[in-house]
Amino acid sequence: MKTGGTVFLAAFVALGASWFGLVRGPLHQLGGAQQTVILQSTDNWPPQRTGEATLGLQVYRKYGCAACHTEQVRQTGMANELALTSLGTQKAADFKDFLKSLMVVPALMNDSNTILGKLAGWNGSVPMTLYSGDDSTVVSTLADKLKPVGVKTEALVVARGADLARGWGVRQSVAADYLYDEPVQLGSLRAGPDLTLIGVRHPDADWQLQHLYAPRSQVPDSTMPAFRFLFEVRKKVAGQSAPGALVWKPEFAPAADLEVVPTLEARQLVAYLASLKANAPLYEAPFTPVTAAK
Amino acid sequence: MSDENKSCGNAANAEPTVTRSAAPMWIIVLTLGLLFFGGLYLDSHGGWFDAKVYAPYHSGEQLESFQPKSGAAMAAAQGKRVYEAVCGICHGVDGLGKPGQAPPLAGSEWVTTKGINRLVHIPLQGLSGTLVVEGKEWNLNMAAMGVALSDSDLAAVLTYMRVSWGNKAGEVTADDVKKIRDALGGHPQPANSEQLKAMPE
Repeated sequence: MKTGGTVFLAAFVALGASWFGLVRGPLHQLGGAQQTVILQSTDNWPPQRTGEATLGLQVYRKYGCAACHTEQVRQTGMANELALTSLGTQKAADFKDFLKSLMVVPALMNDSNTILGKLAGWNGSVPMTLYSGDDSTVVSTLADKLKPVGVKTEALVVARGADLARGWGVRQSVAADYLYDEPVQLGSLRAGPDLTLIGVRHPDADWQLQHLYAPRSQVPDSTMPAFRFLFEVRKKVAGQSAPGALVWKPEFAPAADLEVVPTLEARQLVAYLASLKANAPLYEAPFTPVTAAK
Repeated sequence: MSDENKSCGNAANAEPTVTRSAAPMWIIVLTLGLLFFGGLYLDSHGGWFDAKVYAPYHSGEQLESFQPKSGAAMAAAQGKRVYEAVCGICHGVDGLGKPGQAPPLAGSEWVTTKGINRLVHIPLQGLSGTLVVEGKEWNLNMAAMGVALSDSDLAAVLTYMRVSWGNKAGEVTADDVKKIRDALGGHPQPANSEQLKAMPE
């Protein structure tokens, strides 16, 4: 074989290039990752898991939860928004005229049609989104111009995407979220919902335990198999339930003299699920947190 | 190999051999074109391999323009952070105060005043002597804890007090704090409750 050397060299370069792009490059980018700071806060992200939750990750892995659940939320878009929160003493009609007069400002000219278009069918109710788009200078300019006349606005950064619309996350997943996951349980199939935010969506440990023992007791349409082997069904001692025994709705309760007690693994798994709450705004995944209306 | 082929004497059954031939010009042009397009795409979407830039963001500048700058939610987060670091040590992170140490802020008539004038004076001047909070008399001294805080931090923390733990009062802005701080001047003396009451709310 005359060209053996060339073929070897070509194969070496091809494999070397993919090793460099898929292994060495990412390692250089993210290999030294450390906790980052949550936006406008001194708290670090991600928080270290408790020991119980760290063991729970291994239970999650052992029973193949990642075969049907993912832990990755995707984001397809984002917007700088300006929300009108109060008109102050202004009347809606006067406000519209005032806003029209502002459209000669250079920073606002390009977006005047979209801003005024939103006002066409508006009846004066607040809150109302005045602007939603890419340009942060439109938001800051508009907010600066509206402040002196007593109109209150709030600048928001909004993350968008189908996963976020389902409530599975508040922002996209980024590498920092997985800092303490060993091994990372990304998952690739969503027979069940994404669990990135499960610790926020269902913070109640009893809910989780009952859902593991009898999924349809909590979610009527659930297709999740019941993980009964994570629980011990046993006779009550002297008619008394043990501390930690599950309390059931009547239609799912076992016989009167029996109780369902979670095993250690069930408790660890639930502690791990409670630790899944990627809800902090980060530099690489910014958004304005929505606080409950006061 | 070629010697072997000759000895066989059958050209149809000959092993194919590798020869060098020039690549067609169109493949070269196409490859260069693809490389050029890839370079342009990488330039506009790659974020220069910055570990902080994830799709759908495609550059560091774009990511920077989407950082939340202000807003009530962010101010509340800032206020909470300052409160827990400074005020909460005595007044409690739940705003309920600590007996013998500091009066409650939750529901306190000194916090939920209509205006903000009196409230802003308290951390900037400090307090001494007796003070009646929610019908209970406190006789304590408070240092001027707000002097060391920036205008925006003090405004955020006072706003946080006014909207947390069931309190419902208006926000305090950094401009309000700056005005009162400038009016007080260099080294204000601690106020007592009569002096505070003499001030407009």
